[in-house]
Amino acid sequence: MIATTFQGGRRLIAVAGATGAAGLGLTALGGLAEPRQALASYLVAFVYWLGIALGALILLGAFHASKARWPVVLRRFLETIPQTLPLFAVLFIPIALGMRHLFSWVDPSGATGELLHAIEYKRPYLNVPFFLVRAAVYFAVWIGVATLLRRWSVRQDTEGGHRLTAWQRRLGTGALPFLALTLSFASFDWMMSLDPRFFSTIFGLYWFAGSFLACFAVLVIAAAATRAHPGQFGHQLNADHVHSLGKFLLAFTAFWAYIAFSQFMLIWIANIPEEIPWYVVRTDSPWGRVGIFLAVAHFAIPFFLLLSRDLKRNPRRLAAVAAWLLVAHFVDLHWVIMPRIHEAGPHLSWLDLTAFAGVGGVALAFLVFRMRGVATVPVRDPYLEESLRYQPQ
Amino acid sequence: MKRHVVAEFAAEAPLLEAARALRAEGQAEVDLHSPVPLHGADEALGLKRSIVPRLALVAGLLGAVTGYLMQWYLVGVDWPINVGGRPPSSPPAFIPVTFELGVLFAALAIFFGLFALWGMPRLHHPVFEVEAFRSASVDGLWLSTVVSAEAAESTAARLRGLGARQVQIVEDAS
Repeated sequence: MIATTFQGGRRLIAVAGATGAAGLGLTALGGLAEPRQALASYLVAFVYWLGIALGALILLGAFHASKARWPVVLRRFLETIPQTLPLFAVLFIPIALGMRHLFSWVDPSGATGELLHAIEYKRPYLNVPFFLVRAAVYFAVWIGVATLLRRWSVRQDTEGGHRLTAWQRRLGTGALPFLALTLSFASFDWMMSLDPRFFSTIFGLYWFAGSFLACFAVLVIAAAATRAHPGQFGHQLNADHVHSLGKFLLAFTAFWAYIAFSQFMLIWIANIPEEIPWYVVRTDSPWGRVGIFLAVAHFAIPFFLLLSRDLKRNPRRLAAVAAWLLVAHFVDLHWVIMPRIHEAGPHLSWLDLTAFAGVGGVALAFLVFRMRGVATVPVRDPYLEESLRYQPQ
Repeated sequence: MKRHVVAEFAAEAPLLEAARALRAEGQAEVDLHSPVPLHGADEALGLKRSIVPRLALVAGLLGAVTGYLMQWYLVGVDWPINVGGRPPSSPPAFIPVTFELGVLFAALAIFFGLFALWGMPRLHHPVFEVEAFRSASVDGLWLSTVVSAEAAESTAARLRGLGARQVQIVEDAS
């Protein structure tokens, strides 16, 4: 049963693909009328879903680096999430085409004073050709690592043996520093440079913390959703696997809060003119209520819920908390990006929803499409049996 | 006077089975001793969930509240200090100490809570009189139970019947 290749998911691909296409189409139509709004909404959706794919890739690398045995049963799904990265490379094109609407450093003709000074000073880094070259490098690194890790893992399904495990461990471990750097610089390019004055070295970690948490949330939801389907990875999981995923959710809920607060605290307490405007916009306006909502919804509520052992061992209830965290993560990225075009206060456009469903729909359809044709667990991994027996004390 | 009956078993399965059997026969003070974690021991001994996590939660919250109120009172009310022009009572500045004190209280509650639950510091126990019992921290799987003097022999015989490799009876002088 466990060795069967996955051939289902046709309906999910059709529904998610149609939703995605409709969402992207509507966003494009909206872009004709309100290009700034459409692009900003699209950027939120893009970094939201891309972040989950990158979180999965880094988690996969971390599992290889630590020679983790218990998550082997989850690994095929984890390997397949980053297979959507080529899709995101294509989805980056609208951002590249519309970047002058989003990034004020592209065309600083309206800028004066301090802003103009910051743009001129950062010109060697913040210029269009280098921006595009960097994006190409990021995607090349991500796609290369993701493709090789999965290719070797799938090859092991027929070949068996330890050799391919050793290759995956070497690449997964060695890639981690490069993944961390590219992710960090991508966050500087695509989110932090929306305000060319702002700089925060922890910013990449902030995006990563939320994305990594969202990746665990996706794992939990997928595990709960496939639990009743023999032959799928969710069916192989025991209560201890679910419990461990729940512990990760708890840990990274706290990690996100720690990073988010660290960034805020250091900038708030130093109170330096070039750093502080970013937070003034997000806390001293009605956006501040969104910030407080995040502290409660993205940290306090899930943190105290996830302290419960019973909840962490119950896939359905854990999946409900995970879904809540995915909503909170969207609010988080919305709060990071949207003040760029709505300084006065929160503004939810219908384009936010169409872009979110658009990017998410096509990414989900592509993910399920890539799941087809191979087994849903690495069937000949030498540690699979140990993973299936997983029972920590 | 009470008697401690200790029995060594060769394997995990008969050990857990013996614990279940004795408990089913009404013995309340059955315990297991092993150098490695035993899967299923909690269930065989009928152990309830430990109170340590709840202890840690309560202590952690208490620590956080203490940390916050302490700072609020000290620099916000009792002795306001102007730091960089911020209001004396600035909540973001209080968070790190609030967090740290929460962690500290929780950690101390776990450390000393376990001390109390284990009955530490206790330097000696009657079953240490049994030389062979030392193997419980090396490679032996042991079961212990506390019975009255009259029931000691019958319990020992019962444990032999359940497959114990060796059984010893120790007088509790206390």
